[in-house]
Amino acid sequence: MDVSQYLEIFIDETKEHLQSLNTQILNLEQDSENTDTINEIFRAAHSLKGMAGTMGYKRMQNLTHDMENVFSEVRTGNIKVKANMIDILFQCLDALEEYLDNIQSTADEGSNDNEPLIKALNQILSGEVESEEVAEEKVAEVPKSTGRKVHRKEDGKWEAIILSESERTVIGKALEQGKKVYGLTVYIQESCILKAARAFLVFKAMESLGEIIVSSPSAQEIEDEHFETDFSIFVLSDSSLDVVIEAAQSVSEIEKVAGGEWDASSGQTAAANETVKEEVTPASVAKEAEEKRAAARENGPVAVTETVQDNPALAPAVHEIREVREEAQDAPVAAPPKNDKKPAVNKPVVNRTVRVDIEKLDSLMNLVSELIIAKNSLVSISASGSSDASSSSAFNEQIEYLESVTTNLHESVMKVRMVPIESVVQKFPRMIRDLQKKLGKKMELYMSGEETELDRTVVDEIGDPLMHLLRNAADHGLESAELRKERGKPATGSIHLDAYQDGNNVIIEVSDDGGGINVIGVKERAIDRGVITPDQAENMSDKDIVNLLFLPSFSTAEKVTDVSGRGVGLDVVKSKIEALSGEVDVKTKYGEGSTWTIRLPLTLAIIQALMVVVGDEKYAISLGSIETIENITGEDIKYVQAKEVINLRGAVIPLIRLDDMLDIPKEQRNDDNLVVVIVRKGDKQAGLVVDELIGQQEIVIKSLGKYINKCKFISGATILGDGEVALILDANAMF
Amino acid sequence: MDELKTKAAYVASEDEDGYVPPQITQFIVVKFGEEQYGIDIKYVDNIVRMQHITRVPKVSNYIKGVINLRGEVVPVMSVRLKMDLEDDVETKATRIIILKLEQHCNIGILVDEVKEVVNLEENQIERVSYETKDDKSNFIYGIGKYDGGLISLLDLNSVTLDKEALS
Repeated sequence: MDVSQYLEIFIDETKEHLQSLNTQILNLEQDSENTDTINEIFRAAHSLKGMAGTMGYKRMQNLTHDMENVFSEVRTGNIKVKANMIDILFQCLDALEEYLDNIQSTADEGSNDNEPLIKALNQILSGEVESEEVAEEKVAEVPKSTGRKVHRKEDGKWEAIILSESERTVIGKALEQGKKVYGLTVYIQESCILKAARAFLVFKAMESLGEIIVSSPSAQEIEDEHFETDFSIFVLSDSSLDVVIEAAQSVSEIEKVAGGEWDASSGQTAAANETVKEEVTPASVAKEAEEKRAAARENGPVAVTETVQDNPALAPAVHEIREVREEAQDAPVAAPPKNDKKPAVNKPVVNRTVRVDIEKLDSLMNLVSELIIAKNSLVSISASGSSDASSSSAFNEQIEYLESVTTNLHESVMKVRMVPIESVVQKFPRMIRDLQKKLGKKMELYMSGEETELDRTVVDEIGDPLMHLLRNAADHGLESAELRKERGKPATGSIHLDAYQDGNNVIIEVSDDGGGINVIGVKERAIDRGVITPDQAENMSDKDIVNLLFLPSFSTAEKVTDVSGRGVGLDVVKSKIEALSGEVDVKTKYGEGSTWTIRLPLTLAIIQALMVVVGDEKYAISLGSIETIENITGEDIKYVQAKEVINLRGAVIPLIRLDDMLDIPKEQRNDDNLVVVIVRKGDKQAGLVVDELIGQQEIVIKSLGKYINKCKFISGATILGDGEVALILDANAMF
Repeated sequence: MDELKTKAAYVASEDEDGYVPPQITQFIVVKFGEEQYGIDIKYVDNIVRMQHITRVPKVSNYIKGVINLRGEVVPVMSVRLKMDLEDDVETKATRIIILKLEQHCNIGILVDEVKEVVNLEENQIERVSYETKDDKSNFIYGIGKYDGGLISLLDLNSVTLDKEALS
């Protein structure tokens, strides 16, 4: 069966399940009794197993299977959640993520069997069983807990079935009535396509002879095809063991059936009865089944009836067999042999996708149809050919319509690209938990604003910088427990991760209530390393010194840990954020903690901008950073420290002469009437003096290229309607 | 342009046949003042007429600015200023040659005039060494002799190298 077409879905869904497992297991650690959480975990693990099995990722399936076993025991209350169990489960999740990474890059799960993890899981199972279950059941449990490898060699898997109390009573009563209890393990041929259907037929056959008490996996799972090639059942019947085995065997595509009688006295089946029908070796059965099937194919219904005739009890099943046979007949031809199904290693890497709300797509579709209408109106106006006033006004009307449609279209397309940052920040609670163990500090992560939306490309890139900041906060920010006590802080440090939208920006803040940045320490370190001279240090404000942290290879951590402190953190954070045309800032108070603020633009590529003229040149200023536009006279200009400022409604705002700053030649200044564009960056403001305003325009941002990147006031260029290039001023760089 | 390309391809295909002709390189001959310079045609993407160049502030003086080349923003530099010659004077013959270099994105250079395309064989090219301390000669990797005249062959990598940006 070719499943490669489902690969993308598989990867997406596996990620989701892993994420939910991560979150839920974290919850479980906090509240080990919460049944909702346990059920949720069980469901996720179960779906993971099913999906991995369907896709043919056996190792992944094995691991999830054992995890599921543990969860299932937890769910039934046989095992209590313990700290080391949570650790092992997290390791399992990491291993699963590794599989997923492999699958994503090569479409193959890799060759790591993760034996130690499987062993550990089984130890959890067996360890708990030994201490809590009665000895009787322990015997039954042992084969199960010694690993899957052993199962494979064993025929009598049914011995491993654990009977619940109620099932025991049922069996007890049946035995009293003189009925016999058989355990059966049915092996279906590897090549079988419709395993569930075969299993169903076996069930049917058994039910005609007696009663099925319990099956492993459960009937529901078998129906959903959540099993490999075998399943085990306990049957109550009046017939002899041979008849029962024969009945199960008669279903086609069954490789073999192993069975035995369950001995009531010992709670185990008599060893002697474990005889599988001796003459039935797997090969011969397979051959036999193959022959039967071939015969069925040739002779039609008659042959099927013949096969079951030995066993009249099976008559009701004939009808189903016929149906199944017909399906099975087609299937083997269409599907390639199972062994060849391993996907090619050099499969192209899966494309990145965005899940889009259908409503967003609908609104896009609507806008596109409006666009077509607008186009048609323009065509009809131009076709009418007349140039009188009425057609010109109709023309203008349509242009305006077109403009509003394209603006909305732009907005909608941007919205399609927006995803909540949730997908990135979700993994942080887990990370903090691990750090907590590693660093031996108590800490708690509080997150808010996970639903804040950002452009998909930004969200993909923001993960690493945030991780750096969080690690820094955990490692350097938070003090040791003793120091915290000394400073009168609660023993558990808190780290906050808050995201929110602010105008055209999205702000992400990482703050901690730790020690803050030791400015004097940073200063000394900077002088030591020759980054600054002592003279320079004298004149630097605290803020300037803190900003030194963003320089490459500047780490103040006293000791290098494997969490952080290699000096490749903050400069990477800064350059990453700046590459996304955002900025990062830090506020700190020694002894009280620090706050790192990341400010990112909401959208990329297309922005609303104000076009201005300075000298002979046109510039664009992003509307997002503009506060107001003021007309002032020369008298309004005041001087503070020989710098021009204006007093605008109580706020003192420095003036920036764009012609000076951008070296624009100008014959003379007219200071009587000035147009000042007030721009804002955080809580700071500045007034940009321009000569003329052209107006608001939607502009497409083009990069200036690698060759020109020295001018920090210019963030890019755009092409105007007349084909000329205008530069985009980076108002944030003016401060 | 197309004609030139086919010609270049033709020359190249001859090489594949096993017969090794004398190594022929095609150069576009341009003029700065009275001096002739050659630009290896394999680096030339396009030749466009002079158009409005948008000045970019705070960059090296030889960066003239940026132009709009079919929707792409392309920087334009002045070879004259880079070689410490007088500034370009825009005339009808002024052209912008768009170069495609491996390590950069496209970049345009201003030339006074595009004269012709010449084929130079290896023996017509005289390599120059960098012994002379003269800065200007660093932009030249050889001198071609053609039709009685001399053509200075531009080393485009060093011409477009932005020393200030690197330091």
